[in-house]
Amino acid sequence: MLEKIHEPIDVITIYKNKRLGAKAAPYKIRWKNRSYLITKVGYHHKVRSGRTVYHIFHVCSDTLAFLLKHDPDTLSWTLEEVSDGNAS
Amino acid sequence: METLVNHEKPLIMHIDLNSCFATIEQQANPLLRGKPLVVAAYGTPNAFVLAPSIEAKRIGIKMGMRVRDAQEIYPKVVVRTPDPPKYRDVHLKFKKIFEDYSPEVIPKSIDEAIIDFRSVANLHSDLVGIAKEIKQRMKDEIGEWIFCSIGIGTNMFLAKLGASLHKPDGLTVINHTNLMETYKEAELLDLNGINVRYQARLNIHGIHTPLDFFNATQDFLHKEVFRSIVGARWYVKLRGYEADQREFSTKSIGHQYALQKATADEKDLSRLIMKLCEKMGRRLRSKGYTARGMHMWFSYRDHTFWHRGRTMERPLYTTLDLYRHALVVFHQQPTKKPISHMGVSSYHLSDRKEVQLSLFESDFAKARKVSDALDQINDIYGEFTVVPGIMMAMDDIILDRIAFGGMREMEGQETSFAG
Repeated sequence: MLEKIHEPIDVITIYKNKRLGAKAAPYKIRWKNRSYLITKVGYHHKVRSGRTVYHIFHVCSDTLAFLLKHDPDTLSWTLEEVSDGNAS
Repeated sequence: METLVNHEKPLIMHIDLNSCFATIEQQANPLLRGKPLVVAAYGTPNAFVLAPSIEAKRIGIKMGMRVRDAQEIYPKVVVRTPDPPKYRDVHLKFKKIFEDYSPEVIPKSIDEAIIDFRSVANLHSDLVGIAKEIKQRMKDEIGEWIFCSIGIGTNMFLAKLGASLHKPDGLTVINHTNLMETYKEAELLDLNGINVRYQARLNIHGIHTPLDFFNATQDFLHKEVFRSIVGARWYVKLRGYEADQREFSTKSIGHQYALQKATADEKDLSRLIMKLCEKMGRRLRSKGYTARGMHMWFSYRDHTFWHRGRTMERPLYTTLDLYRHALVVFHQQPTKKPISHMGVSSYHLSDRKEVQLSLFESDFAKARKVSDALDQINDIYGEFTVVPGIMMAMDDIILDRIAFGGMREMEGQETSFAG
């Protein structure tokens, strides 16, 4: 099931040297008093809305997938969607 | 009689992302991988399936099916709605990879592109090696779940045929040595450009297989089967030569919308027309055009259809201009029946700089400046920051969509746009 959330969220990010094949990405998130370790970044892309270029991260933990939006102007994160990967 | 086939080295590569939208969703969300998934226009049972995943195709779910029919085949099928900015980003990434190999990259649609190696001097690697490298780079640089089929041929037609024969993840070279074998294995509908109606026409003339098609004479195709130059073009294409060298420029700019619930309510429809005109106007102006033609079409709930176009003396530029003329066409409908699907497009496009200013309409230049200023505000603060009053509270109506066909609108773009 996919649920639209659109809430501010706590995020710990990690930056690995590009030489090691990684960039900045969410490492751990906290939502509804639970912490989720990010095990995989499925896709990262940028979306322009007016002057702002948002970073969109499609990430997942062992059980849930999250769509996170990062606003580099305000350095804030929002959780846009949560999905368990099932139909309903 | 010996049939003349192109014996040159195949230098055209066609790359086709398999099950594009669904594959990208599975790339973004690893929990969806390996599951039957469809990307549908809406999340409702009546919506059409735009792209089934490879797993969904294997169990008989097809593009164009209703979601409810897909759910009948597999009740647990995952349904997702399209995420155009993400698909455009993948498109831009794969186009960037292709441009490392040739300056001639022709995007054919959001999920297909052609790399023309004919202009590449000193081509060191063979094209099969390059194709394998591209497949690997797409996995490394876009995502490990991204599969593509690649066809290599002497012309665009054979390259496309090659890409379509072995899916998913295929790599097929078609040249003079295996052309006959390829035609023997294929069906008429496998040929790009042959739809059910063309197939019926070919069948009437005794052509039932691609091999029959290949063996038909140029005269027969030209004068009997197609009764136009199209027949002669097919004769050339089937032999591996390029038949259509024309470059197509933008002829029209338009938008369409499928209503979730059919309506004849004039107020509701006027608001939708305004939003369609605003989206169309934004694209028209961003490409530096004005339009002298306006076309609208309506599909009604009773499955009937009506359309009309009108040409104006004065070019249209502002959203308000486009909207006023669209409303004129709208009110020309012979009967006001509930509309389920509608579209608006502008044509007779010309460069905005070529506009002749009117001596008697002093407001024209002013209106253009105001329109440009509003566009600049929306460029800075995001789409629909400033909108005509009639569009208030319409944020989620008329969603961002990916158009079928060419991707000219993305030329020169580096970041996907929202909304």
